Formats: sequence, C-alpha cells, structure tokens
Amino acid sequence: MTLKYLLPLLALLGFIFAAYTVVSSNKPMPVAAAVVEPAFAPFPSYIAGSGIIEAKSQNIAVGTPLSGIVERITVKVGENVKAGVPLFYLDDRQTRAELAVKRADLLKARAEVSVAQATVKDVQSLSQLAQAVTDKRAISSEELLKRNNAVQVAKAKLDSALALVQQAEAALLNTQTSLDRLVVRAPVEGEVLQVNIRPGEFASAGFLNTPLLVLGNLQQLHVRVDIDENDAWRFVKNNKAVAYLRGNRQFKADLTLAYVEPFVVPKKSLTGDSTERVDTRVLQALYSFDRQQIPVYVGQQMDVFIEAKDYTADTTAEPSS
Amino acid sequence: MNHIALKMLMGDKGKYLGIVMGLTFASLIMTQQPAIFVGLMSRSYSFISDVGLPDIWVMDPKVQFVDDIKPLQDTELYRVRGISGVQWAMPMYKGLLKARLTDGTFQTCNVIGLDDTTLIGGPPIMLSGKIEDLRRSDSVIVDIDGARDKLGKPSPTSGGKRIPLAVGDTLELNDHRAIVVGIAKVTRTFQSQPVVYTTYSRAKSYAPRERKLLSFVLVKAKPGQDIAQLTRRIRAATGLSAYSHNEFKELTYNYFMKNTGIPINFGISVALGFIVGAAVAGQTFYNFTLENLRQFGVLKAMGANNLTLLRMILLQAVLVGSIGYGLGVGLTALFGHAMRHTILAFKFPWQLLIFSGAGVSLICVFAALISIIKVIRLEPAIVFKS
Repeated sequence: MTLKYLLPLLALLGFIFAAYTVVSSNKPMPVAAAVVEPAFAPFPSYIAGSGIIEAKSQNIAVGTPLSGIVERITVKVGENVKAGVPLFYLDDRQTRAELAVKRADLLKARAEVSVAQATVKDVQSLSQLAQAVTDKRAISSEELLKRNNAVQVAKAKLDSALALVQQAEAALLNTQTSLDRLVVRAPVEGEVLQVNIRPGEFASAGFLNTPLLVLGNLQQLHVRVDIDENDAWRFVKNNKAVAYLRGNRQFKADLTLAYVEPFVVPKKSLTGDSTERVDTRVLQALYSFDRQQIPVYVGQQMDVFIEAKDYTADTTAEPSS
Repeated sequence: MNHIALKMLMGDKGKYLGIVMGLTFASLIMTQQPAIFVGLMSRSYSFISDVGLPDIWVMDPKVQFVDDIKPLQDTELYRVRGISGVQWAMPMYKGLLKARLTDGTFQTCNVIGLDDTTLIGGPPIMLSGKIEDLRRSDSVIVDIDGARDKLGKPSPTSGGKRIPLAVGDTLELNDHRAIVVGIAKVTRTFQSQPVVYTTYSRAKSYAPRERKLLSFVLVKAKPGQDIAQLTRRIRAATGLSAYSHNEFKELTYNYFMKNTGIPINFGISVALGFIVGAAVAGQTFYNFTLENLRQFGVLKAMGANNLTLLRMILLQAVLVGSIGYGLGVGLTALFGHAMRHTILAFKFPWQLLIFSGAGVSLICVFAALISIIKVIRLEPAIVFKS
C-alpha cells in the first residue's frame, strides 16, 4: 500500500524542509565593520570635544583699507612673508593723477611765494625812497603813508603765499598716503594660507565673509577645542589632553594647554542658515602640540579628549576609574 | 495490536486522508499566519538589527520607536562621548526625504547619514561598490529593493519593467544632486521605503533646514563594560534616553504591538485556524472511531483491556497528528521559499515549529479524548446487536 508509506514520508520531508528553512532563513545579517577604527579616549573619564587646527597667531583675514580693483598680487599661497612685505596692489591710476595735480599745485604755490617776495622788495624800495626825502614839502604825508602800508600788505601776502605752500605740501603728503594705502602689506611674519582674490577683482573694504587673503604663523599650531557649556564645569585646565587625527587614529598628539578663552561663544552655526537661533554655547580651550608628531593642516578637524574627574553618580557602578 | 490500529486507520483511505488533510490545514494556518506576523513585526525593527556594531542607541527621551525621529543638538554627541565607559560614540541621521526621479515622480526615501570618518552603521551587505565610496562627493548608496523598484528608472516601452538604478546613476534628493556609488542589501523595513545611505554631513545638507538634525548617537561600550550600567549612566549624565540594542528593538516592537491592529488581525487568523482544524480533525476522527466501534467492541470482547484500546487510539492520533503537522510545516516552508524574493514579510523562527506542534498536539489530544471516552464506555455486547 503506497499511501501507507507515502504520507509519512511526505510528512517527514516536509518537517525536514521546514527545519532547514528555520535554520537557513534566520541567519543574522552580518555586521558592517567600521571603515576606519574610531578614536577613543585613553582616559577612564574624560570630556570629548571637536578641535579645529589654527595657526598660533590665529588665522588673520587680511583686509584692505580702501576699496578698489586688484591690480596685481605679489604673493602665492604657501609663501612665507616678512612683516611689511606688500601682499597685493590696488588700482592707483586715479590717485597717481591726483598726485600730479597736487605736485603742480605745490609748484604753483612756490611760484606765488617768489611773486610775493618780489612784490615785497618792490614796495620796500619805494618806501625807503620816500623815507629818504628829508623835505616834508616834497612828498605828501598821504603818499608816505601809502608807501609804508604797501610794504605791510606785501609782507602779509608773502606770509599767505608761504602758508599756501605748506597747504599744498600737506595735500601732496595726503595723496601720497592714499597711494601707499592702495598697497596692502603683511601685518606680521607668516605664511599665506589662502588667497581669495585675483587681479581684476574688486576688493571691498570692511568685514568680509570670505577674507581676501588669510595669513598665519605656522611655526606653532594650536588646536581650538569646543567644549559644550554643559561639560564646561568638568574642565580642569591642567589635565592631560590628547588629540586624534580623523581618519586614522594611529596619528595622535599630546596636547599642552596654551590658554582658555574666558568668553563662552555660541557654537558655530549648525546649518548655515542666517535666521537660525543658536542656543548651544561652547567654551573654547586652545592647546598647542608638537607639529612633528602628526601630519596636519590648518583648518583640519580633530577628535580631542581631555581627562576629567568622573562625577556620574551611579550607585551600582563598580569603581570605574 | 498496533498493527491492527494502523490497519483500522488506513483501511478507509478517504477518511484517513480527510483527517490528515484537516490537520495539515490546521498546522499550515497555525504556522504560516504567525510566520507572516513575525515577519511583519521583525520588519518594524529590522533597521536596528542591520546596524549591528553599536551596543547602545542614544536618542531623545520621547522617541517611541525607530522611525519616530526627534532630533538632538550636535553637541550632545560630545557629551555622550565624554561619559566614562564609552569606547566611541558616532552620530547618525535618519529621516524621510523626497527624491525626484528621472521621470519626474517623487518618492519618499529613508535617508541614513553615517559618521563621515568611520561610516559606522552602514549597510551590512554591499552588492556593488564599497562603503568607502561614500567619501566621494555627492555619493549615496541605495538598497537593492529600492533600486529595483521604487527608485528604478521608467521602462523605455510603456508598461514594461522598470530599469533598476545602477552605480553611476544620479538622483535628486531634496533638490540636491546625489550620485549612486553602491548598491546594498538591507532587510526590508516596515514601510518598505527605499533606503539611501550617505554621510552625516551630506545628509544634513540634503535635509530641510532645521536647527537640530542629529537623530541618534550610536555608542560602543568599552570592553568589559556592563551595558545596562552604561545606559543608566548615559541617561543620568545627559538626560537623554539610552537603549541597548535589544531594548530598542523591544521598544519599537512594543509600539507596533500596542498601536497597530496587526497582532489582533493575525491572532484572529491563528485562532480561526486552530478552531477550524480542531473541528474538522476532531469531528473526522470521532466519526472514524464511531464507525470502527464494532471492531473495538470485538477487541474488547476478545479480552483486550481499556489500556490497550487507549494505546491504539493514541497511536492513531499521534500518527495522523505527526503526518498533518509535518505536511503543514513543510507546506509553510515551501510557501516561504516560493515567496522569498517578493515583498511579503515571512519569518520562520524555530519557536513557530514548537507553537504549531503544540497546536496540532492539542487538536489531536482533543480528538483522541472524545473518541477514548466513547470506546471506554463501550459495551462489548454492542457487536452482537443489530
């Protein structure tokens, strides 16, 4: 009888298949490993923060005192410059034209002085001639008075001409200063980190979101660490701190505190929206580190851990540090 | 005696098949319906299962389940990082964003933003491309189900199959350009939206402007650190909610159990399967016993005691029960196998085998019980009547 064996056999097969399905279909998904190992703190208790690398001198966004078209740029990105070295020149044609006018004005003023001097001489000699006449009847007292006054007037005119020369000289100096201000110079010794202008572009005076030129002293770098205001009370200045390079935690640097900015600032905008409200503020601590330890660039972000005392009141906690 | 019992059982093929069929369907319904139920429920937390690396998920205290995103401030990440016992903590963005397809239609996608450096929380299986490719500009990784179906390009012939999205194709996510650099395999989620993986900072730029965008902080405990203790510590220090991997799954699962009609619907199906199975199998078995009452009477008259008869009936019940059960779970497995590439939620854990086994046993015991009572009360003299 086939049914006698067929049904139990089918049932057995069914059960085996079900068991196989149970085993094969319930394998857990494999765990996706981290692409790079994340950095973790070498301390049992610590504050974590993100740090951004900046030059010790901070990054100086160089501005221009006058607005104008950029004529030429004399430095390249990455170039080391001494203090006072010209960085870029603005278009100075108009100022130079003014300078020529002012020079001509000076020459004219000087010529006026010569004219005034000649006049003084002229009226003085006429006055002396009149004074030399002893017979009072030969010259009217009116004439005498006139000649004497003419000397005073001529002298006053000479003084005025001399003052005009000074004025013209000052005007010339003024224009020269303007000319000088069209050349933007390095305020400190340092490296050119960024050049955001090109000849022909308009450089406007005042605060800019994109600085014209960024300068910094890279001899010594600082890492600026943002510490959440909620964690700020746990921060102790002299505690050890370590920074890890993002992307490879093999690169780490021990930090020494340079200074703490005592003013707690709003955290840099999270979305870039100008209308956004910021309600997180951060304490900023600046640390210095040995530049040779890690290959870093200014502006790069780092993961920073600062040792701190463990305050968590966990009653069941084992002594965790 | 056992031989006689089997002969009795299989003597009438129609009846025999009837009992087996009844039990098979009871077993099938009691296995297949719960399997779909379990599959559906496991989809509610499939995203958490897929992200296997972190031990703890930190989120807003008001989060009710995994898709209920209540974002945190970015600085919370560093507060969590600063808690002792934390090996690492990584940000994760999870949100629904609109993708515009090449044919102009819009599709809501589940966008996942992973930590820029470590890309922790990425898709478990990459079918093409590498997770590291997310470092390229504008790059995203799309899950295979989404790429094939909802995000696929329209067919060149009308009514044809969609062309799957492939590596190198572009998408428009919230008016931003996104290039597909990889196709991943992920477990389907409850809402079955396409999953788009990208980096955290890029996800923030795709997302509509909001002050807070950090959905979860993923935490790995230090080796040897007690997870429950660390979750308590995180809760105490930050005021946020911290759940272990399994606690978060449970939270999500309980939310769906409480707030959707799914458990009731499937509970009713299973109960109906049980009742129908019990009624059909019980009735057929009882009828069968009634018809064979004469034979039992003869056996009793010949001196067989009640215990022997009881054993015979039990053997019959166990036999039909096992056959029905085996066939039922086999058919369920076959159903699951046939449906494995479709959208149907189907999950067959070992507990279900036991569940349906217990159900079938219950039916068999019930059927055997009423038959046994009949046989024990049987007077041997009945054989000679009429």
